[in-house]
Amino acid sequence: MAKTLRQLRPVYVVGIGLHKYQKLSDTPYVQLGLTAIHAALKDANIPFSAIESAYTGTALLGMAPSRVMLRHLGGSGIPIAHIENASASGSTAVRQAAIEVASGLSDLSLVVGMDKPGPIKFAHDSAGLTDLVGDYVSPFTHFALLAHHYMHRYGVSAEQVAAVAVKNYRNGARNPYAQRQEAYSLEAVMAGPAIAGTLTRLQCCPIGEGGAALILASQEAIARLGIDRSRAVQILSSTSRSEQIYAAGADPDTELTRETLALTCKEAGVSPDQLDIVEFHDGFSIEELLYVEALGVCAEGMGAQALARGDFDIGGKIAVNPSGGLLAMGHPIGPTGVGQICEITRQLRGEAGDRQHPNARLGLAHMVGIGSVCVAHILRRNG
Amino acid sequence: MNRLYVDGQAHPSLCGQTCKLCGRVAFPPNPYGCEKCGAPRSLLEECILRGEGRLEAFATTFHSNRKDRVVPYTVASIRLADGPVIRALMVQQTDEGLSVGQAVHAVMTLFEPEQIQTEPQIRFTTHGPN
Repeated sequence: MAKTLRQLRPVYVVGIGLHKYQKLSDTPYVQLGLTAIHAALKDANIPFSAIESAYTGTALLGMAPSRVMLRHLGGSGIPIAHIENASASGSTAVRQAAIEVASGLSDLSLVVGMDKPGPIKFAHDSAGLTDLVGDYVSPFTHFALLAHHYMHRYGVSAEQVAAVAVKNYRNGARNPYAQRQEAYSLEAVMAGPAIAGTLTRLQCCPIGEGGAALILASQEAIARLGIDRSRAVQILSSTSRSEQIYAAGADPDTELTRETLALTCKEAGVSPDQLDIVEFHDGFSIEELLYVEALGVCAEGMGAQALARGDFDIGGKIAVNPSGGLLAMGHPIGPTGVGQICEITRQLRGEAGDRQHPNARLGLAHMVGIGSVCVAHILRRNG
Repeated sequence: MNRLYVDGQAHPSLCGQTCKLCGRVAFPPNPYGCEKCGAPRSLLEECILRGEGRLEAFATTFHSNRKDRVVPYTVASIRLADGPVIRALMVQQTDEGLSVGQAVHAVMTLFEPEQIQTEPQIRFTTHGPN
């Protein structure tokens, strides 16, 4: 029978590093990635020469971006691979590195995500498939339709959905790596400009540039290199699913998320109400409500009320998107899923400064990617 | 590519697909295989779906990344009378007057003359046949 990550060797996050997420600039992607990697190596207090493999999450840079970057850390000859899995590229790179360390093929693996905004080419456009809407349905139109369906079904207002963005901007304002570091009132979020349906610009994530890096290690590597065990965070589960055929009219992103999160909780041996931190793919405000309900931390249709009660605030029942999420921290594609693990690790170490959720012990990272795919990880504080 | 609707009708029917193995009725059709059970193309049969249904959700889009796209436009999720839930463009540019559950049907329309649209386009509308 196939095994889960937890049934293999334990895997730990021992180093995290970020390059601030930001609007498109002249900064080369190599600089974005190297900044994050240098920070992660420093955080783990190890040299690059100790790294045994590297996985890069990127979707927009084009063919073969890694060695152009990694050679400036000293060409060590390690195996490298690029992971493109749409918005979940970075999360999938984390998963592949975690699997490699857990399997025993490597003791120390680097994960890096970097991207710069540019023209996006979708394979679907050359798939020989057609429908009635084509590119009239961009992601914001897709999620505006889901928002309308949700609001009608549960009697939720546009303002209640927009309140997700208000919370996430409040968190992002305290995150020095966030692309949007400004808090906005509900009035400001609702003021527009309107993008699609009830979604305004501030309810849609910015696609910018950035870098994020992690060092994953086995217990053997931690012992051999004298890495600080007290700051190591264990990856309890790594789960990835792709969309199936659901009931006619069902929202595939939510159904896919529901099954992936249930599976990852099972693999980790954790119930949703034990989680302290969740970083969700909140590309659009409505997603957070759909996904908190799919996770099961509140009843169907009750997400907006729980949010208004403060359940999802830092210091609340469960801190949802303490980084600011995709809405505030930003969504540079390749780095996003890696950056989520950086935030969760920081929170579980108790090193998140003025956005620290008290006594955080368990955290969950979730990304969906167009297509659709879903990737989730659960992490636990060591000790 | 498979055709999406029956040509030459003012109120067109849609061309769906029935899987002879699992019975799934799908729209849009595809030339490859059943998305539910994996049956090959040879077991997928075209079926005609009435171009009518009810609105499940709709959203007016005010912004486009394409400079040649006229906004606003409105996209709807429609539960077809014959089963599948599809997405389609509405004749109505905005959601004014639309409501969930409202009956809609397909029409061929030269809707946006400013786009120099030369071919009629299939859209859905709440208005009676015209």
